[in-house]
Amino acid sequence: MSAAAATGRAEALAARLPPLLLAAERVAATVAQGVHGRRRVGQGDSFWQFRPFSEGDPRSRIDWRQSAKSHRVYVRETEWEAAQTCFLWRDASASMRWHSARNLSDKRARAELLLLALAALLLKAGERVRLLDSGPLAGGAAGLAGLAEALDRAPASGSANLALPGDAPLPRFARIVMFGDFLAPLDEIRTMITRLAAIPVAGFLVQTLDPAERALPYDGRIRFLGLEGEPAALIPRVEAVREAYQHRLAAQITGIADLARAARFGFFSHTTDQPPETALLALYTALA
Amino acid sequence: MRGVAAFGFASPWLLLALAGLPLLWWLLRVTPPAPRRQNFPAIRLLLGLPTKEETSARTPLWLLVLRLLAAVLLIIGLAGPLREAGSALPGQGTVLLVIDNGWAAAADWSARIAAAQGILDRAARAGRDVALLATAPSADGSPPRLSPALPVAAARARLAALAPLPWPPDRDASARALAAVRDAGIVYLADGLATGGDPAFAGALKAAGHVLELRAPVPLRLLLPPRATAAALIARMAQIPGGATPPAAILAETGDGRTLARVELRGAPGAATAERAIALPPELRNQLARLVLVGPASAGGVVLLDERWRRRPVGLAAADATAADAPLIGDLYYLRRALAPFAEIREGDLARLLASKLAVLILADRPLGEGVEAEGVARFLAQGGVLVRFAGPRLAAHPDDFLPVPLLLGDRTLGGAMSWDKPAHLAPFPPDSPFAGLPTPAEVSIARQVLAEPSARLASETWASLSDGTPLVTSAARGPGRIVLFHVTANDDWSNLPLSGLFVDMLRRIVQLSAGVAATPDATPLAPAETLDGFGVLGPPPPAARALPANALATTPAGPAAPPGLYGPENAREARNLADGLPPLAASAPIAGAQQASLAAIGRTRDFGPLLLGMALALLALDLIVSLGLRGLLRPRLAGFTLLLALPLAAHAEWPASPNPALETRLAYVVTGDGTVDQVSRAGLAGLSDYVNQRTAAALATPAAVKPGEDDLSFYPLLYWPILADAPSPSPAEVNALNDYMSHGGIILIDTRDAAAGADFNPGGAAALRRLGRELAIPPLAPLTVDHVLARTFFLLRDFPGRYDGASVWVQRDQDRSNDSVSPVIIGANDWAAAWAVDDEGHHPYAVIPGGDRQRLLAYRFGVNLVMYALTGNYKGDQVHVPAILERLGQ
Repeated sequence: MSAAAATGRAEALAARLPPLLLAAERVAATVAQGVHGRRRVGQGDSFWQFRPFSEGDPRSRIDWRQSAKSHRVYVRETEWEAAQTCFLWRDASASMRWHSARNLSDKRARAELLLLALAALLLKAGERVRLLDSGPLAGGAAGLAGLAEALDRAPASGSANLALPGDAPLPRFARIVMFGDFLAPLDEIRTMITRLAAIPVAGFLVQTLDPAERALPYDGRIRFLGLEGEPAALIPRVEAVREAYQHRLAAQITGIADLARAARFGFFSHTTDQPPETALLALYTALA
Repeated sequence: MRGVAAFGFASPWLLLALAGLPLLWWLLRVTPPAPRRQNFPAIRLLLGLPTKEETSARTPLWLLVLRLLAAVLLIIGLAGPLREAGSALPGQGTVLLVIDNGWAAAADWSARIAAAQGILDRAARAGRDVALLATAPSADGSPPRLSPALPVAAARARLAALAPLPWPPDRDASARALAAVRDAGIVYLADGLATGGDPAFAGALKAAGHVLELRAPVPLRLLLPPRATAAALIARMAQIPGGATPPAAILAETGDGRTLARVELRGAPGAATAERAIALPPELRNQLARLVLVGPASAGGVVLLDERWRRRPVGLAAADATAADAPLIGDLYYLRRALAPFAEIREGDLARLLASKLAVLILADRPLGEGVEAEGVARFLAQGGVLVRFAGPRLAAHPDDFLPVPLLLGDRTLGGAMSWDKPAHLAPFPPDSPFAGLPTPAEVSIARQVLAEPSARLASETWASLSDGTPLVTSAARGPGRIVLFHVTANDDWSNLPLSGLFVDMLRRIVQLSAGVAATPDATPLAPAETLDGFGVLGPPPPAARALPANALATTPAGPAAPPGLYGPENAREARNLADGLPPLAASAPIAGAQQASLAAIGRTRDFGPLLLGMALALLALDLIVSLGLRGLLRPRLAGFTLLLALPLAAHAEWPASPNPALETRLAYVVTGDGTVDQVSRAGLAGLSDYVNQRTAAALATPAAVKPGEDDLSFYPLLYWPILADAPSPSPAEVNALNDYMSHGGIILIDTRDAAAGADFNPGGAAALRRLGRELAIPPLAPLTVDHVLARTFFLLRDFPGRYDGASVWVQRDQDRSNDSVSPVIIGANDWAAAWAVDDEGHHPYAVIPGGDRQRLLAYRFGVNLVMYALTGNYKGDQVHVPAILERLGQ
């Protein structure tokens, strides 16, 4: 990619980014008030406090400049940085780009909003976040922009199944948070969860659904068309199959919940007509 | 079904398709409507769902009815339903269509053809053949002939070839053509003009079968040759007495189609003719080539004018031809200039002049010899010519017989070196003199003259006399002709009369007095040169046209052998009009026993097909929108767009006039209250604005009409103000507004429109200007010269003509530095707006006088200079200093 093209791309991203980031920051800020941070002494780079020298401290840790100001000798302590990498993933398939009503955001936008908000919270807390498929390791406040840019980048064209996380290598005991509609067959989801649980990693699944997908609010003779090349379904009377559909959907959600519980993964389902803050709060408390 | 509207179909077999409607209904019922389409991500969950009830959705009933209705309308519309108004075809068997195609049918010819087409349509639907008979003799001279019974398609072609002919129908011959016909259904399109053969024709029609007679309510009119008088041309129109007499209008046109005058005329209901004078200045009257009745074109509405009405050739002869041409002192020098505007001047020796046709012969101090000359002049007088003679030394020495009064030998001198007398002045003209009413200027003085021998008849033969009673101009009738003697010379030797404007007016009156070209027609055969067709358009003569003896030109009835038109050699065309030799107009009696109907009703067959098809298409469009809506493909924006397409485009809305005149530069004219004058001003300024926009960098908007005192004048650089003779005195508010406008840099172009020939159109303009100008703060004026800035702001001009030419243009005399030396007022009389005027078609509606493209071009150039002067002030005047400034700058 030429420098000019890269600049143009960055500008386009910058034009689009602030609302998303701001919304994510705003959502994260309202959540952060209720949760305590990790404010204690430990391994890290940033200054935490000065402490009087005591027996057993290595001499190399004495802060001579501070000690020279008084008669006592001080040791410089840094904040504990218990940084852990949290992997994030969202469903980038075409079926996520859908919303049933004009005033609702589409599912992918909601999933990315939640992902970025979570990332913002994690970055504030000093954690490291990383997109599962691609993207550099992000840390610090500036990492959010890089993360957003990575989100915006088109996913690799070779990846056949975008609806579920691929088999990218994950470090052991890492954390992974997955956003998606999880409407794939339960068997595929089970395979995915089993593979992740075997590494092992701690996972969390957030299902983002459109209200129309829950309620099927259509009537009459309708030819339903899939967004990912599925065969069309001609329903003569939609109101006649609504109940059966809702049963199937409930079974899908229950099935995912059962699979997640068995693998000690977290799971909850979220519709795009609910405010994103509640979902983020639930997610954050569950992760903390 | 007489008199009752009848319904029918153009192609009835198409109605069979209506039988297919139940099938369509069944098909529409069993076919479910197309499903809506809906994207849905969770489609995997929907696939394979068991459907409890499989009753397929059906097309709603109202949609079904809508579609069936559209189908019904489509089928019926394609079948072409018709409604025939008026009467049905009479009789059985062949339809005989008899059409009057004489001159009287031309005025509503298209309506007649439409009616005949309607008859043919009906005959086609009834499957009847048609025979045609046109009652006027055809152009090759053959009498009316009945065509054989033709199929309708062939009859249509023959009908299309019919045209009205410029002569009356020959009903006698038509009756003979009908003699063999029996038991036909006859439709007769009558023109309503009575001819001699009417009874025979009516009998033949009645004998031939059932007759339906169609008549048009158009009043018959025939323009008669006008009568020429000294002052005006009296246009005459014949009409059928007792009929409807809506007002008519007559246009007086020149040979190249310009209209010089338009008069309205309305005949009294009982009168057979109507008259109205067309008053035109002589120089315009001489250009007239024809009179045309406004309205539908017809040979009866055109009168061609020839020399009898038009040309007044004046022959000039002097004793010494070479000395007569000397500038300022020659015998003919002043005569030539005085006569040139309104008469055709011929010069040469007397024998040649007498051989050509003359209205007036002027001899300047030229005695007539005995023998050939005297006989020629006597013949000229016997033909009604006017002989005008001017005295002089030669005539005083050799008086001859061709003088109105006997002269005393020698002449008398007033105010000479050896005389106590003062040069004499003119007395007012006697009331019975043709010069009556002309002003007698005090500066005209007579120094020398010939004296008439006193006699009892002298006073009655005197047209003008000196203040002491001595006759100056005497005249006597000599047979049909007349001799006029000026007792002074035609140059300024004996008097300064030839230097005055009075001289021109006197000659004009004398020329008007003449009867035109005096000619007693003889039996010389005159070949037709150009003849009128039925619509009154000149064209080549028809094959049957023959040469006519000149003395029979005005009496031969019009026919294929003698069509109306122009006859004779090219330089002496004689007009023969349709009215020459026609009996007075009379309405023909309706055919007894025939069924009568109006011509207008028969052609009106209403075709409902397009209407029904349109309704069907509208319903189908509605169905399309509804179907799209049912399938979920209809977005509101798309629906709006479709509706917009379906709606007819709204009429072009007029842009509102700019409320703020300061936004654009525009010229303005003062509203006078006279609609015609205001319209000319508007059209003139619009034409000038266009010209200026094309030629210069100035961008002028549409001109504005302003009323001083009411409208704010400060927005307009130039105000055009035509002066009406009867304009009311301006109110104080108007005076203040105009003075304020002039003192703050505005320019008013005041136009009295009475230069040259305009004096006859707008008399009293100069007097009105004096009256109006008394109130205004008009600075001292001087004539506009070629050195003035106005003559060189854009074009370099020497003349400043408008519609007329020759009047001085007046501008401010002194250079007023406070106003940048710009003249606040420009006064002229050339009627510039009429010269600038452009009508909606881009033509110039007002002819310039004396004429020529050059004059109009100069008028536009003056306009451009004027606009530039108004817009740039003395900027162009300062340009003369540029060389000096550059020199001072050392460049």
